[in-house]
Amino acid sequence: MFTASIMLQLTIDGITRGAMYGLMAAGLALIFGIVRVINMAHGELFMLGAYVMYFVTVAFGLPAPIGILVASATLFFVGVTLERSLIAPLRARLGDRWLVDGYVLTIGIMVILQNLALIAFGPRERGLASLWPGRMEFGDLVIANERLVILAGAIAAMTALGLFLGRTALGRAIRATAENPEAAQVMGIDTDRIYALTFGIGAALAGAVGALLLSIYPAYPTVGGDILLKAFVVVILGGLGRVGGAMLAGPLLGIIESYATAFAPGGWQSTIISALVLAVLVVRPQGLFSRQVTRP
Amino acid sequence: MKFPSFLRHVGSKTELIAAAMVLAVLVLAPAMVGGRYFPTICISILFFFILGALFDFMLGFLRIVNFGIAGFLCAGAYASALSVTLLHVSPWVGLLIGGVASMLLGLITGALTLRLRGIYVGLATLFVMETLRFTVSNAREVTRGASGLSVPPFEPLFDLTFARNQPLQLYYLLLVLVVIIYLCLHLTIRSRIGLVFKAIRDDELGTTVLGLSVVSYKLLNFVIASLFIGVIGAFYAHYIGILVPTTQEFGIQRTVEILTIAYVGGRGTLWGSLLGAAVLVGVQEVFRDLDEWRLVIYGTVLIAIITVFPGGLAGGVMQLFERLRQKPLPNGDAAPPSKPGEP
Repeated sequence: MFTASIMLQLTIDGITRGAMYGLMAAGLALIFGIVRVINMAHGELFMLGAYVMYFVTVAFGLPAPIGILVASATLFFVGVTLERSLIAPLRARLGDRWLVDGYVLTIGIMVILQNLALIAFGPRERGLASLWPGRMEFGDLVIANERLVILAGAIAAMTALGLFLGRTALGRAIRATAENPEAAQVMGIDTDRIYALTFGIGAALAGAVGALLLSIYPAYPTVGGDILLKAFVVVILGGLGRVGGAMLAGPLLGIIESYATAFAPGGWQSTIISALVLAVLVVRPQGLFSRQVTRP
Repeated sequence: MKFPSFLRHVGSKTELIAAAMVLAVLVLAPAMVGGRYFPTICISILFFFILGALFDFMLGFLRIVNFGIAGFLCAGAYASALSVTLLHVSPWVGLLIGGVASMLLGLITGALTLRLRGIYVGLATLFVMETLRFTVSNAREVTRGASGLSVPPFEPLFDLTFARNQPLQLYYLLLVLVVIIYLCLHLTIRSRIGLVFKAIRDDELGTTVLGLSVVSYKLLNFVIASLFIGVIGAFYAHYIGILVPTTQEFGIQRTVEILTIAYVGGRGTLWGSLLGAAVLVGVQEVFRDLDEWRLVIYGTVLIAIITVFPGGLAGGVMQLFERLRQKPLPNGDAAPPSKPGEP
């Protein structure tokens, strides 16, 4: 039953789906790696990005790329504002003991954003027709054009993020802060500014993904919950706080998901995946792709 | 009247008087108000109070973040419900089975994860909860999944009946459970074990240097909490009558509710959760028609507690108490009111 072409189809479906998970998780990993907060409100940032995209493209009739840009820019400002107004004061007050409080703080943000969206937009789903309708066929293989757009978008965004972190002075400053905040400060890096910027970039990524995926995940107030869980899975598989790990783990999750759905129908794939995450947390908490030998 | 010496292990004279007064209110108020509505609200308050206290027992004393607390509730509820429906045991035995099931889950989870850093424990417990919830919703043949498992009510005991339309009786049953659980937690905290808990909370490395096994103490704490969460879960199953594996019942949303109550009540106190539960359940009842705004308020309160009032309601009460106690001193050289410590 599972012929080579079906396997190939499942793999390709998995990779295209996983690329977006990876992108979503990269923001979460970036925020955890540098700001050291597990951002429970990440799904809601995704949701805001989706709404911005909807209003820009449907209400104002502007083209999709502009929608994605506007969504990223808006969410960047939302992210910086959240960091400056809520997270930075908490960090200043509690020092290194604030990890758990930061976690709970973002839960508060999550609840507020979700319900404000419900008040403002109602529970109705607001979607978008396909960005590029139709599909391509290569023999038995079928790929929806939509998926290609998303894959291209994900690869472009990941390359940009990789270049930014690896090649620019600001990117180096961000990595230095992740490595050792005190030493970075001594070297003349304004770490407070780095924290705010990083949170903004992570939020902008979430917003961009929300905008890019609007034709698949329509915008509604609680859309973030499902997305957040997926992003968590990816971040854990890739190792907490590792942006590169998240980018690799995204497609991996996509492939596991598409195979699990094919082999174990009827909802069991979610049990399989969350049990897998648990296994990784217990056996390899540093992540699947980490070369780090010591267990955290 | 002489202060009996055995009570010194429980608390100081003032503390005991305060506890007796609170208990008197908890015993008398629902019976005096009567009806069905008020006792039902009181059941809600007790339910969230003890879960908040159990959450605080882990977070406020050992800094263990049990983000999957609703999963342990789920384990207790389904273990009891299934053993009653499939094995035909009495729901009273079910309470015990629920506790043991959740305790075993806690033992396994704790043994595997408690040696990791705090944030990993939080994530691992979160995924224990989700794995359990997904399993329950997929195993439809046994648990009836999303269509809901109906659970028989408690059987009569010594001529006392506990039907679902008698919330007052169920309230007193829960009150007995809550008082027993709370006493166990309180005595643990006041014992030498509790002292070690606080030492670990304040300086984990230092405690290790003293030759104490931090992981064993964490495991002990986690297993005790899991046992009681399971018992409460089993009570909930027979009280509510139908179990559905949704995120509101046994998922992230329930965890967030419990955690908010522990934070609002004041961490590191246990009793703070009673204030937290009374205020938050009360606010929910009073502002029922606010719908979404209610949850916006919930989130805002949580953020305010974390950023501005880390001591929570219990911290406020203690500060007030300190101030009242210092007033009678005429020369004004009383010590400044001590700030409640942040756990």
